[in-house]
Amino acid sequence: MSPLFTIAAKDTKIMVRDRAALLVMLAMPLGLIFILGSALGNIGEGDSLDTKVAIVNLDEGDTGARFVEGLTSSEDIDAVFNISVREDAEAVRTEVERGDLTAALIVPADLTEKVLADEPVALEVLQDPGSQMSAGIWAGVVRAGVANASAQIIAAHTLQETFAGGAAQGAPSGTVGSPPSAQQIPELAFDAVTVREVEVEIEKQVSMISYYAAAMSGMFLLFGGMFGAFSFVRERREQTLARMMSTPSGKVTIVGGKALGVLLIGALQFIVLYLGTRLLFQVDWGTNVLGVVLVGFAETIAAAGLAMTLAALGRSERAIGGIAPAFIMLFAALGGSMIPAEQLPEWLLPAQVLSPVYWTVDAFLDLMRGATLAAVAPNIAAVLAIGLVLFWFGVWRLRYE
Amino acid sequence: MGTIVEVRGLVKRFGELAAVDDVSFAIEQGEIFGLLGPNGAGKTTTISMVSCLIDPTAGSITVDGNEVATAPGAVKSTLGVVPQEIALYPTLSAQENLAFWGQMYGLSGGALKSAVAEALELAGLADRAKERVEKYSGGMKRRINIAAGILHKPKVLLMDEPTVGIDPQSRNHILETVKQLNAAGMTVLYTSHYMEEVEYLCDRIAIMDHGKIIASGTLNELRDVVGGMDVVDVKVTEVTDCVLDRVREIEGVKQADRTDGAIQVLTPSSGSVLGKLVATLESEGAHVTSITVTEPNLESVFLHLTGKSLRD
Ligand SMILES: Nc1ncnc2c1ncn2[C@@H]1O[C@H](COP(=O)(O)OP(=O)(O)O)[C@@H](O)[C@H]1O
Ligand SMILES: [Mg+2]
Repeated sequence: MSPLFTIAAKDTKIMVRDRAALLVMLAMPLGLIFILGSALGNIGEGDSLDTKVAIVNLDEGDTGARFVEGLTSSEDIDAVFNISVREDAEAVRTEVERGDLTAALIVPADLTEKVLADEPVALEVLQDPGSQMSAGIWAGVVRAGVANASAQIIAAHTLQETFAGGAAQGAPSGTVGSPPSAQQIPELAFDAVTVREVEVEIEKQVSMISYYAAAMSGMFLLFGGMFGAFSFVRERREQTLARMMSTPSGKVTIVGGKALGVLLIGALQFIVLYLGTRLLFQVDWGTNVLGVVLVGFAETIAAAGLAMTLAALGRSERAIGGIAPAFIMLFAALGGSMIPAEQLPEWLLPAQVLSPVYWTVDAFLDLMRGATLAAVAPNIAAVLAIGLVLFWFGVWRLRYE
Repeated sequence: MGTIVEVRGLVKRFGELAAVDDVSFAIEQGEIFGLLGPNGAGKTTTISMVSCLIDPTAGSITVDGNEVATAPGAVKSTLGVVPQEIALYPTLSAQENLAFWGQMYGLSGGALKSAVAEALELAGLADRAKERVEKYSGGMKRRINIAAGILHKPKVLLMDEPTVGIDPQSRNHILETVKQLNAAGMTVLYTSHYMEEVEYLCDRIAIMDHGKIIASGTLNELRDVVGGMDVVDVKVTEVTDCVLDRVREIEGVKQADRTDGAIQVLTPSSGSVLGKLVATLESEGAHVTSITVTEPNLESVFLHLTGKSLRD
């Protein structure tokens, strides 16, 4: 075995026997995930009465405007829905996908034209038919609006419902080749208007416990860096570092071995956190296991970098024990480990990019919602970049005696 | 038998302080070479330069034909190092510690296993090999600290105060171990501030003080520095400067110095001095509790050369 691995294996063995370290590296995050995750239910879940919906009127004529007016001026509707009239159909679609809006209505650009020409035309209701009850109510409201708008209601009026299954992105917004069902009655102009409910694939909601599994893992993986720094200064103080340097191995091998030890310990820690949260708390890390592993690994590299920086800055374990938690808490606060990153004050947001925890937690959450590896690749790159900067700074300033 | 370690004009400065100040010595293959000196003399600094841990300010060191400055890798593989501190991992067992250090010297597989077993045997701790080092007594730790330095059967073993702070039994065990290793062909550089150890073990000795070597040679050569004189150790209740001055005035007293709780007197003829010595001390109010007359030892040599005790 190369001295590099000999040193890393030795550090791992020592770490596994260190009860205090195990407490901080494993018991604390698991405990916090459990407490925070089970105390607070689900993020973004829960149907309030004040359901948020949006209307985008793209109609170039005035039919759309009148229709929208009809919906927004009704007090009954207003009591249940919080309606916003918007311009950007794509932005609204994204918000529905994210779950920020419960449902939306898109009025097509050619509504007036088609109505006058008595051709079939569809109003589009974006919603998640599976999970959100209020979304279904909204579709009903729109349908009723269409029905009211008709001068004469035909009893046999059938609503056509088209399901563009799984069309999350780039869903069609123009006409759809659906044959008009109740049609060709010239006087009943609005009868040709159908309501087409478009199933929007709403991003998977991340449960609170899953959120904290991501947040605490992203944060506590960095504590491997603190213990790595402890190990380095302890070896410096107890002269085992000097003894290693009196063996044929050079400084590069010794420092490399110490860093590799932090990686190995971080990998073991992450395996325990990943499996622990899955088995104990049924956390759903998503199906992209490779992505989760790579993000976790990148964060342990950041931890190894942090170990070097801390070992360079702190002369003693005591000093490092003082600065390391401060460093990590700051990274974690910026990264959304305490409260969701979006809820931080505006002026703090630019500093987020400096926090490896931010990129890691963001990537974990995306992967839980079903993101691809490509989607989180920038996060991985950012974490690695921060880790390398910390590593080089540390090695540059490291003292061996 | 040629020279295996050669140190020439070695200097190490820490700022103003010359911790090692123009030190030269040569160690012959197969001998035990002693570096004797009080705390702060510069022994550890010298050993650290030989083992490539710190760079000399000036001078050169050759180990088995390799220059420390240009071929540290080759020098390090030739050397075994037993540091002054117990440089072991407390939460690992003795066996795990030894296996680690063996691997760091490139041992693996069966060779590692047998080297570890042999070293444990030598340390007399084979039966407690699986216990964590933190549970060991100071003496046992010292023995493992030594064992960790000899796993790869180095040609030259550097031992820096390997018996500091341990019980007499462990100390004897260690001294016997050093003899045993040397008998098996290992060259040893042994530093200590205990003159008995150096007297007992070493073929040749260099006495170091304030970064300089103030005397060197075999034990007999060093004794000659004191020149056929007797050493009289007088234990008294109280030693004042005034008493010391009065003793120095006695005829036949070459030198008188304070050691712990005693006065050490050098004299060519102890017989003629003893009576006057006791009378002088009693008249000064210093109560004599014991008197011993011995051959000069390294302590007296050091006292003679520096005017102070090794243990100060
Ligand atoms: N790294 C260092 N920086 C400054 N002074 C040092 C350093 N190492 C040793 N010294 C000083 O050098 C002198 C010799 O120390 P050392 O070699 O440890 O002596 P010894 O081993 O003989 O007790 C002492 O005065 C010590 O304080
Ligand atoms: Mg010393």
